[in-house]
Amino acid sequence: MIPLSWYLALSAVLFTIGVTGVIIRRNAIQMFMCIELMLNAVNLTFVAFSTYFQDVTGQLFVFIVMTVAAAEAAVGLGIIIAIFRNRESLDVDEANILKL
Amino acid sequence: MLTILLFILFGGMAVGCAVAVVAQRNPLYSAISLVGVFISLACLYMTLAAPFIAAVQIIVYAGAIMVLVVFVIMLLNVEEEAHRPLRLRYLVPIAVALAAILIAEAAFILTLRGGPERVDTTGVPASDVGLTASIGTGLFTEYLLPFEVTSVLILMALVGAITLARRTLAPASTPEPEFAGASEYVLGEDYASRPTGVIQPGDTEATGQAMARMHIKQEEEAMRAKHSTTGEEEGEG
Repeated sequence: MIPLSWYLALSAVLFTIGVTGVIIRRNAIQMFMCIELMLNAVNLTFVAFSTYFQDVTGQLFVFIVMTVAAAEAAVGLGIIIAIFRNRESLDVDEANILKL
Repeated sequence: MLTILLFILFGGMAVGCAVAVVAQRNPLYSAISLVGVFISLACLYMTLAAPFIAAVQIIVYAGAIMVLVVFVIMLLNVEEEAHRPLRLRYLVPIAVALAAILIAEAAFILTLRGGPERVDTTGVPASDVGLTASIGTGLFTEYLLPFEVTSVLILMALVGAITLARRTLAPASTPEPEFAGASEYVLGEDYASRPTGVIQPGDTEATGQAMARMHIKQEEEAMRAKHSTTGEEEGEG
């Protein structure tokens, strides 16, 4: 059986890649996908702990995190479409004022 | 041994696809790489004896969310991100040094023996923790309230997404109501031919005419209302 720390290390690596993407990308959709990547890294941690401690709670959390991610996807993409309609661009550096 | 091979295979695939998500400049290629991350994570969930979560991962993430993302990418016709000079160039060596320190720290902690006694996590007995039945039992007994709150959350997200993405209608240009005789009687023949636009500050004539027009409109409506009510009364009488 694989040690628990391997899964945690993999999760940490994925989360770090997600953070890096949010920092270095300028496209709103790509930042959004990096956020999804971070959520998945956290899910991996939850499932690993759930399996190793024989407790189903972690997997229930994963289920709810997935629901929140789906809701976030709907609202986030709605915001992205609204920004694109107003600015004809998805560059977050250009969307830096709170008016049209 | 087989489990270790599978972990290395799918873990490496997940990390590689994640790096591709970040490194690609075309959002569509990023999205495809992200699907790869999701699928390899689902395989890792299978190795962790969580088949329900693996199935939900494929259905919800790789199926629903990524279809939504790809749909938006296609809809918006997003161009590739342009290369631009790095603004904070002097921070790169500092970042590399800090990352090296962090990795050394993590390696030191991971290889450190003789700390607090380590949890024995190398053996997992066979159980029903990851099966659908146990998840359903937990979801509908102990965690019923979060489950119900989640439904409210989804409803809010639904309404919010529709409100945000709706194409807001431009204010419809309503034609000016016709005033049969009164306007021309009061304001003269040439009133109708004047452009009714923005009144410049200081243009007293236009201001006065606009106010006169407003009063005429109000009076006409009052008269009309009075007339209709009296007509009804007469009809009843």
